[in-house]
Amino acid sequence: MRIKCPYCGERALEEFTYRGDATVKRPRSLESDAAEAWTDYVYFRHNPAGLHREHWYHGAGCHAWLTVTRDTRTHEIVAVEFADKREGT
Amino acid sequence: MSRPLASVSGLAGLTVPGSYGAKVGELGVTIAERTGLGIATVAACKGKSEALKAAARKAYGVELPERSIVASGRDILFIGTGPGQWLAVSEKYANEELARELAGRLQGLASVADQSGGRTVIRISGPRARDVLAKGLPIDLDPRVFPSNGAATSTISLMGVQLWQADDTPAYELAIFRSLSGSFWRWLAASAAEFGYEVKPG
Repeated sequence: MRIKCPYCGERALEEFTYRGDATVKRPRSLESDAAEAWTDYVYFRHNPAGLHREHWYHGAGCHAWLTVTRDTRTHEIVAVEFADKREGT
Repeated sequence: MSRPLASVSGLAGLTVPGSYGAKVGELGVTIAERTGLGIATVAACKGKSEALKAAARKAYGVELPERSIVASGRDILFIGTGPGQWLAVSEKYANEELARELAGRLQGLASVADQSGGRTVIRISGPRARDVLAKGLPIDLDPRVFPSNGAATSTISLMGVQLWQADDTPAYELAIFRSLSGSFWRWLAASAAEFGYEVKPG
């Protein structure tokens, strides 16, 4: 598998570290009624057969965090963008 | 009496000038350490990218690159190493002087950190330089895809390297972490041996 880093260009998998699901959102509330939202955030992940948005870190290259859209069935990479949109601007 | 903190090359004792490896045909590769360089990392402060670029333009007459290329300003090279990040290299501002110079001019716009004691810079040139690097670097340096002002941050034999093309002979300069100098040298010597290589004084 190769990932096309928006800064460095196409690089091999060994240069990257996988962090995980890019779609989960950290709950803002610390109140006790947010327990369910926190449980979802910390423990539960979807396991789609198909497109998945995930965070990768280009540790051996430009040190940018990337959001990669990957097909979990084929490992085809559909899109790669900076996780922080301000970067690279 | 010697200075207590006189700089010592990370390759001291390894880079003995001379010819090594295969002795057939023309010399394939020339290797030289670049010593005494000023080396510093420059990282744009949040929201200051444009002001930083303007300051660099004014101070060094350079357009800070936004991609993996090297740009030469007055007495300083700026190598794009990541979004909003550069490696600065200079002969004129030697050793830790470069970081002082940059920090003064770019105050409030960028974080500047001295790396002159943390990196070893090696120049690899000659007709087989690309063949040597191809044994470890997972990047195609062929001129059709790698521009003559190209740069790359990657790994060679699991060691992090920052590489930039110095000229079209071709010559490449590689900054490696100082503590890996010995390991890197062993990789380089073994990889260059079949082409014949000359070690020049730094």
